Parts: sequence; C-alpha cells; structure tokens
Amino acid sequence: MENILLRDKVAELEGYFAAGGYRALKKALAMPPAAVIEEVKKSGLRGRGGAGFPAGLKWSFIPKDAPGPRYLVCNADEGEPGTFKDRELILKNPHALIEGMAIAGHAIGAASGYIYIRGEFVAETIKLEKTIAAARAKGFLGRNILGTGTDFELHVHRGAGAYICGEETALLESLEGFKGQPRLKPPFPAVKGLFASPTVINNVETLAAVPAIIERGGDWYAAIGSGKSTGTKLFCVSGPVNEPGVYELPLGVTFKELLEKSCGGLKEGKRLKAVIPGGSSTPVLTAEEAWLVKLDYESLAAAGSMLGSGAVIVIDDGQCMVKLLQVLARFYHHESCGQCTPCREGCGWLEKLLNKLESGRGTKKDIDTIVSVAENMMGRTICPLADAMAMPAISFVKKFRSEFEAHAAGHCCPPEAPVKH
Amino acid sequence: MPKITLDGKTLEVPAGTTVLEAAQAAGVYIPRYCYHPALSVSGNCRMCLVEVEKSPKLLTACSTQCAEGMVVSTASDKVKAARRDVLEFLLINHPLDCPICDQAGECGLQDYYMEYSRAQSRFSQEDKVLRQKRRALGPHLMLDNERCILCTRCVRFCSEVTKTAELEVMERADHSFIDLKAGKSLDNDYSLNIADLCPVGAWTSRDFRFKARVWFLKKAPTVCLGCATGCLAEAHHNEGEVFRLMPRPNAETNTWLCDRGRMTYKALRAGDRLTKGFIKNGLIDLEPALREAATRIDEAKGAAAVLGSPWLSVEDNAALALLAAAMKTEHFCFDFKFETGIKDGILINKDPSPNAAGAALVKAGKGGLGMEEFRARLNSGAIKLVVAEARAAALLKEELKASGARLIAFATNRADIPAGAYATLPYASYFEVPGTFINYQGLKRAVEPAVAAPEGVKPLWEVLNKLAAYSGASLRLDSAADAMKGMA
Amino acid sequence: MAFVTEEFKAKAEKLCAKYPRRDAALIPLLQELQKESGYVAEEAMDELARFLGLPYSRVKAVVTFYTMFNREPAGKYHLQVCRNISCHMAGAPGLLALLREKLGIAEGETTKDGQFTLSAVECLGACGAAPVMQVNEEYFERLDEAKLDALLEDLRHGRLRARGL
Repeated sequence: MENILLRDKVAELEGYFAAGGYRALKKALAMPPAAVIEEVKKSGLRGRGGAGFPAGLKWSFIPKDAPGPRYLVCNADEGEPGTFKDRELILKNPHALIEGMAIAGHAIGAASGYIYIRGEFVAETIKLEKTIAAARAKGFLGRNILGTGTDFELHVHRGAGAYICGEETALLESLEGFKGQPRLKPPFPAVKGLFASPTVINNVETLAAVPAIIERGGDWYAAIGSGKSTGTKLFCVSGPVNEPGVYELPLGVTFKELLEKSCGGLKEGKRLKAVIPGGSSTPVLTAEEAWLVKLDYESLAAAGSMLGSGAVIVIDDGQCMVKLLQVLARFYHHESCGQCTPCREGCGWLEKLLNKLESGRGTKKDIDTIVSVAENMMGRTICPLADAMAMPAISFVKKFRSEFEAHAAGHCCPPEAPVKH
Repeated sequence: MPKITLDGKTLEVPAGTTVLEAAQAAGVYIPRYCYHPALSVSGNCRMCLVEVEKSPKLLTACSTQCAEGMVVSTASDKVKAARRDVLEFLLINHPLDCPICDQAGECGLQDYYMEYSRAQSRFSQEDKVLRQKRRALGPHLMLDNERCILCTRCVRFCSEVTKTAELEVMERADHSFIDLKAGKSLDNDYSLNIADLCPVGAWTSRDFRFKARVWFLKKAPTVCLGCATGCLAEAHHNEGEVFRLMPRPNAETNTWLCDRGRMTYKALRAGDRLTKGFIKNGLIDLEPALREAATRIDEAKGAAAVLGSPWLSVEDNAALALLAAAMKTEHFCFDFKFETGIKDGILINKDPSPNAAGAALVKAGKGGLGMEEFRARLNSGAIKLVVAEARAAALLKEELKASGARLIAFATNRADIPAGAYATLPYASYFEVPGTFINYQGLKRAVEPAVAAPEGVKPLWEVLNKLAAYSGASLRLDSAADAMKGMA
Repeated sequence: MAFVTEEFKAKAEKLCAKYPRRDAALIPLLQELQKESGYVAEEAMDELARFLGLPYSRVKAVVTFYTMFNREPAGKYHLQVCRNISCHMAGAPGLLALLREKLGIAEGETTKDGQFTLSAVECLGACGAAPVMQVNEEYFERLDEAKLDALLEDLRHGRLRARGL
C-alpha cells in the first residue's frame, strides 16, 4: 500500500503543497474542535512513542472550560535505543508534522505549541525551524491562520542529552528549564501540564498521521492495520539485516515479512537468535517467538512483549546475550534520573551484577539476583524507566538462561575484535 | 468528605486528605523518608507504597488523595515486600557506619530496617558507590554524601522554607549527590533544621557531633527565649548537661527553630557563666555580694529604682515588683514596648526579647512607670540606683552612664553585664528553673527545668528574696509561683 | 560579565520570548553559552543565574543533569561514539578501540594539541546506520576503519564535512 508518512518529494513546502498538503488544515479549521477530535478517535490512532494510548481520547481529556492557555507539545526526544523514525520523518516529511500540530492545536484549543527535539539532532532542528518559517510565511502558522481567526504559534526547543526526557512529564520539566525528572501523576498533563496549564503531548509520528486522517477520514485510517491497531507504523530495523532502516507498513505485518520483504533478510551467514520488537525497553523475543509474530499492539502484548516505539532490534547468534544486557544496563544506569530509590539504586546494581558475569567473576546466584532485583524495581517508581530496565533484564535471563549460566561457569565471550571491513 | 477503608477500618476524611495523612490520623504509621508534613510532596523515596484496590500498581501514600470508596491496605504482603525491597535498595550504597554515626538511634534506616527488613545484604561491599565523606558546610552543619538517601528534604527546605535555594541534587542516577556552590557556606538562619529533617546521618549538627548518644538523652519541654516568637522547644539533656535544643512543632508558632535560638543553650556552660557575684570587677561570693548590694540600696533610699525585664519570666518580674514594694520606691517600671512581628517571614521576631508581654502583665497588676517617665527620672537624677536584670539594664545604658546611677544587675553570663555595673548577682537560667513567658501572640508558655543550676546559683526570685532580707524586708517567697499571689 | 555580554543578552531576550516564563529558556541559553566557549564555565553559570534571577544551584543542577553540557573545554572536534545496542552489535567497541589507538587517548580525554576529545555516548538515534559517531553537531554513519581514517584526515585538515560521508 501507499505510504502515508514516509513519502518522497514532500520535504519542502512546494512538494508538500503539490501533493495536497495543508488541505487537511483548511478542512479542520472549518470543523468544530470536537468534530476534529471525534474524527481522530474514529481513526483509532494510538500514540506512536511507545505507550500506545489512543490519541483522540488523550485530546479529549483537556478540560473544556479550563481558563488560561493550553499547550500542544510534540515529543521528538527520540532516544529509545533502536528508534530512529522521528528523525527520518522530520527530514523527509516535516510539513506533515507541522500541519498535524496545527490541526491538533485547533482541536484542543491550544494557541501555542513546542516541538521538544533531542539535543543531538541539530540538522533536524534546523530543518524544523526552516519548515516552520516556510509554513508561517504561507499563513499556515502564526496569527489568524488562513484568515480563520485561529492562532497557533510553534517553537522548537532542543534538549540537552537525557533519555528520560522522552517521558512526557520529564519532557515538560525540561521544557520549563529544569532537570528532566518525571512528575508525580496525578495531576496529569491534560489538567496541569506545561507551565501548569492543560497540555497534550504527542509523538512526532502520531501528529504527522493526523493530516491524512482529517483529509481522508477516520474510517479510512481505521481500515488500515489490524483490529485495534489501526493505520501504518514506522518500523525501525537495526541489527545484522541487509537493509536496515525505517519502513512504513500497516500495523499487523509479521516480523517475517518485515525482515524478508522490506529489509532484504539477514546478512549472509547470520542466524536469527532474538528480536527486541519495540525498542530496548521491551521484552526480548526468541527467534521462534518472533518469526511469525504480528507487529501490532495486541499481538505483541499477547507474545509477552510490546510494540513500543516500533524499533525492531534484530539479534543474530553471533551476539552474546549477557553482553547485550550489560550494554543495556549500562545505558539505563546512565540514564536513570536518580529520583526514585528502586530505579536509582537498582539500575546500577544490575549493571554491576552483569559486569561481574561478563568478566567471569559472577555466580549462578548472581543470575537469580538479577531477576530478583529487576522484579523489585518493577512498577514501584514514578515513571517507567525502572520497568524499561527490568523488562529486558527479566526476559533476557528467562529466555537465554543457558548463556548466563555459561558465564557463571567461567565461559565468557571473547573480547571484541576491532572492526575491519 | 470521602469515606475510605484503611486496613479494614472505615474512615471519613476531609476532601484533599492524602492516604498517609488519613492513616496517621487513624493511628496507622506508614514509613516514609521523603515525605515531611511541612514540605512539598516529592514522592521519590517510594517507602510509603500502599495497596489500593483496583490499582494495578502500589501507590505512594504521601501523594495519593483519598477518594470515595477507596480500599487501602498498608500491611498486605505486597506492601511489606515493597518496603523491604526499597530498604534493600537504600542500603546497598549506604556505608553502614552506624558505630561512628551521630544519627544512630534516631535513624530512619536503622529504625525501618529493624521494623520491616532484617534481611542479609545481597550486595557486595566493594561495589558500593563512593561519595564524598563528611565535610563542614556552613557554621552549623556537616554533610556526608555517602550516607545520603537523596530524599531531597534538605533541598526542599532551602527552596520552600528559607527560600535561599542553596542546595540541589547534582548529576543523576546513583552517582547523584546533594551539593551547593563550591566555596559557599550553608549559612541561612535556619540551617540546623536540616540536621533534624535529614532522616539519615547525611546532615549532622557540628555542635552536637560526637557529644552524646541519642538514646541516653532525656527531653524537657521548654520555650526558646531567643526572641518574642517564643517557639516551643525541647531541651535534650543527660547527667545535668543540655546537649541540644530541638523544635517542638505546633500549629500556633513553629515547626522549626532558628539557628540562633538553638544555640541559646550554650550560655549554660559558657566560660563566662556566673556562679558568683561581682562587685565592680571583683568576683565575690553570693552572700557578701547580696549584703553589699542591699547596703547600696538602703543608702539610696527613695532614689532606688527597680526595672523589670522582658528577658525574665512573669514570676521573676512579679518578684521584682514585690522587691520594689518592699523598697518602698515609686521608681519602678515594667513597661517594654518593642515592635513585634515575624521579620523574616519564618520565625525570627522583630522583638528580640521573649517576654515583653509578660512584663506588661505585671505592669497591669502592679502598676509602675511608663518607660519614658522612668527614663526621664533617670536622666533627671531622681534615680540614683537601679536594680535590674542585665539585658533590660542594657536598654538604658546611655542613661545609666550619663546619670551616674548605680546599677545592681542580675545576670547569668558575664557578657550580658552592661559596662559600669556596680554589682552583679548571678541567677539560674530558665533551662534550670521553671517560669512562664508570654509570646508576641499573647500565648502563655511554661518552661520546665531540664538540668540543675550550678552549685550556689539560685533562681532569681530566691536571690530577690534574700536581697530583700538583707534590707530588712521580707518578700515571703518560697517558690516562683508565690510571686504571683494577688495577681490576676 | 565575561560570558553574559551585552551581545549575548540581546540574543537571550529573543530566546526568552519564546516562553511565557523566562527561566524556561535556561537550557537554550546554556547551549548558546556553550556554543560560544565550547563549555559551560562556573562563572558562566553564575552570570546566567543572575541574568535569569535564578539560584545558582538550579543552573548547576541542570548543567550536571544533561550530558551535552561540557564542564571543561573540549577539543576542537568532539568525537562521540555511540555504544548502545545496535551500534554495539555493529562494532562500536572496535571503533572505540581504533580511536583510542589512533588518537592516543581514552574516553573522556582530549589530545594534547586540543584537537580531539573522545567520548563514548549512549544511543544517538541513528541505529539503522550503525555504527554511528557524532562529531560536534554532525553525524557520521555506517563507519568502518577506512571511513574513520578518511574522517580523521579531514578533521586534521580542519574539514568537518556534513553527514553521508
């Protein structure tokens, strides 16, 4: 089927406009905000950042009668290991995001919005700023959009290096100029978000899907995909495949199809060992579990994992699962904001246990301790970073225990050889 | 008024009450580190997790508001396991140096470990994150980052109460730590509260460090006499020595205590503590000093005056009024007017004296001159001798000097005595004898003795009783309360 | 003020205007300061705190929380090698080893001539093009030894070429 998001020749305004761009905005501005929300609800569009929360429903949580400003925030703090779709979308089709935001702003009654983009994405920031300037020059943004009396100002705000800012309340803290430490909820952002005002935070991919939904209708969008997982999804494939990259496919596509049809299969000589289907925080699947699994919210949940951000990390049998978990533990340890006790202390503890195992100093008891520490972290913190560490830890050990036991018995991986191509 | 069920009991609580508060009111203690009733809720320690029906996850009692029909369990197996696990996490990087830690005995880690955990450590000693060990941060505090559990009470105190915002958590994850600007001193007027707030041994009082083990300390209710706010306080003492002054939180005046107030107890054992009398600059035993003072009073006859004091208890002011009557002088004054009110928005009063209102009560009962009139008589030479408490006398030191009137002063410490005092008689401090004080809000507050006065040092009423006896009069005082006879 | 100059203030006012509260511009302003001097100096934090009317502690906490703020001067070229899972599988450890060898420095160090600082960083969000390295603000993707040599050669000649090397 045709791509909705990743399209060619739409990176600049002329191309985007020629392909029918900003028609949806015009249409939306003529609709009452409630009707726009209704259309998005009908589409079944769900949050593409990882949590999968229905977008229309999220918008409808903004209190109707709340006085004062409301804000729309786009989460472009793409940092979940394995994920690189927002970057691609911003470079290839930035106007879809801008148009989607202008529509969402109208729907929730926000006159200003921010795109919070990770600090490392400098080229993408520049691209967004140019795109906003171009849209503003044509009257698609700013005051009195297209003469309708609706205002929507859009600003780009660059982060400064903190994975946790992808969590929406940490993002708000960061956007307000504080450390990115997640807030206690309630109150939820829809009631008290950015600058203590009602706020909606959506992922880049979610917002970029909105113009098509408005233009072609929620029903049209809902017909794509599989069951409650409607629409297309950007899948980011990394690992030893022939053509890694971002692929837009309807939700419900099988891993096998993604790997073989889109990515040209595994690199020669590689055998599939495991797949992390939704970014590094989601539980790992064995090759067997992964092969025919449908990549959508429900199927992956049924398989004991998650769709997450759609970051499919392919792992071949040449990789050591203990080493990979050590890499992930080092990452979560590095990124824990330090607020909640279980996460602050647990991430570091797990990394230390894995360091021990990796270096041949570990014991069988340490393997059990890894699982127990991870379990003790789960569900007991303000934000899901602790779970994001715990889920891979538990699933790696559970599904690849023999590799951990081999390490405990002193059979460690050889040191990494330098890359020579 | 939502109704909730907490551990099987039905409670009705005002809207907005948190589960932790509701439990507390019902006598159910929920363990906590970061929660403090006077600070904002941060919810970071995760110690107060409770089970709420229909919630898939445990919730923090400190941040969860009671809602109609909520069924809460604070003692289920899930809750107990969560507490045990949080404690384990808190202890893995803790140095476990209790034998040399001043917090031992009043430490949240020790207490909760005994109550909720008692598990063996699964964490190897050599893996602990090492942080900066003790360093002095400011005049009153020591910080040991290694003992810190990052509950952020200290950070919130400085940002919300003193609004000085010196402290922050720097860095992130398990290498984060509390710090302030390099070279800056944590010297706000309330810094010692941080040592109290700190649930572990990270912040300790430099003054109290290594002085006493807390389990030996006894507590006497007292009132801080550092200013007119009259904060309720508690003197912690053992074997005749006071070791620290702590706040007794109350709704009327104070949750905290200022640093200066806390240090007032230091006068008890200060090098200049008076245990004998002074005549001019020479030390002399109490009895001959009294005799000498009485002689001078008699000599001055009708030109002798008595000045009350806002630093003395109501009873001792009343005793001074009785002395004035016994001396048959009309020159007496209990009139002290200071501008009152909290000057820093926290606790410190514009009025530096603790009992101007108490003196006014005596004035109401016994009459006496207004301060201006008293001053005028002193300036005019009508008064040739003044009997007064040292700090009250210091209020008139210019007039005393100019008029050349003799000063018979009562003091606890030499530093209080105005220059040129003719005689000084020692008396017992209000950590050593009871007394009543009336704060700027008109609240009557009693101090109770924590320790005994040094050998030979008497309560002021007793000193006055004797002084009168040497002049051939009798005040008929057998206790401080006797002085109040005949007063409303 | 050495860092918060009049020129900086003019720029800062524009950034502050993007937000309903001035202090929300703290991070963009720190980025601006770092752009000018290559790092955020203690005095710069102090001056910025005063400029925004914030406690120093807040500024310092923010600087230490986010990994992109350098607290010491970095080399002319800051080589940041991603070492997260996808890059790891694609040979990031070997890439780092090569760089250590070629530059004669370890992660976190700067070459004596002040040209290069080497860092190992977490996911750069370009996993499909692993292994990835960021040099200052540019991404270099699908790296191998030959590309690395060419890149280092370019950098030694002061050429920091855009992506797609």
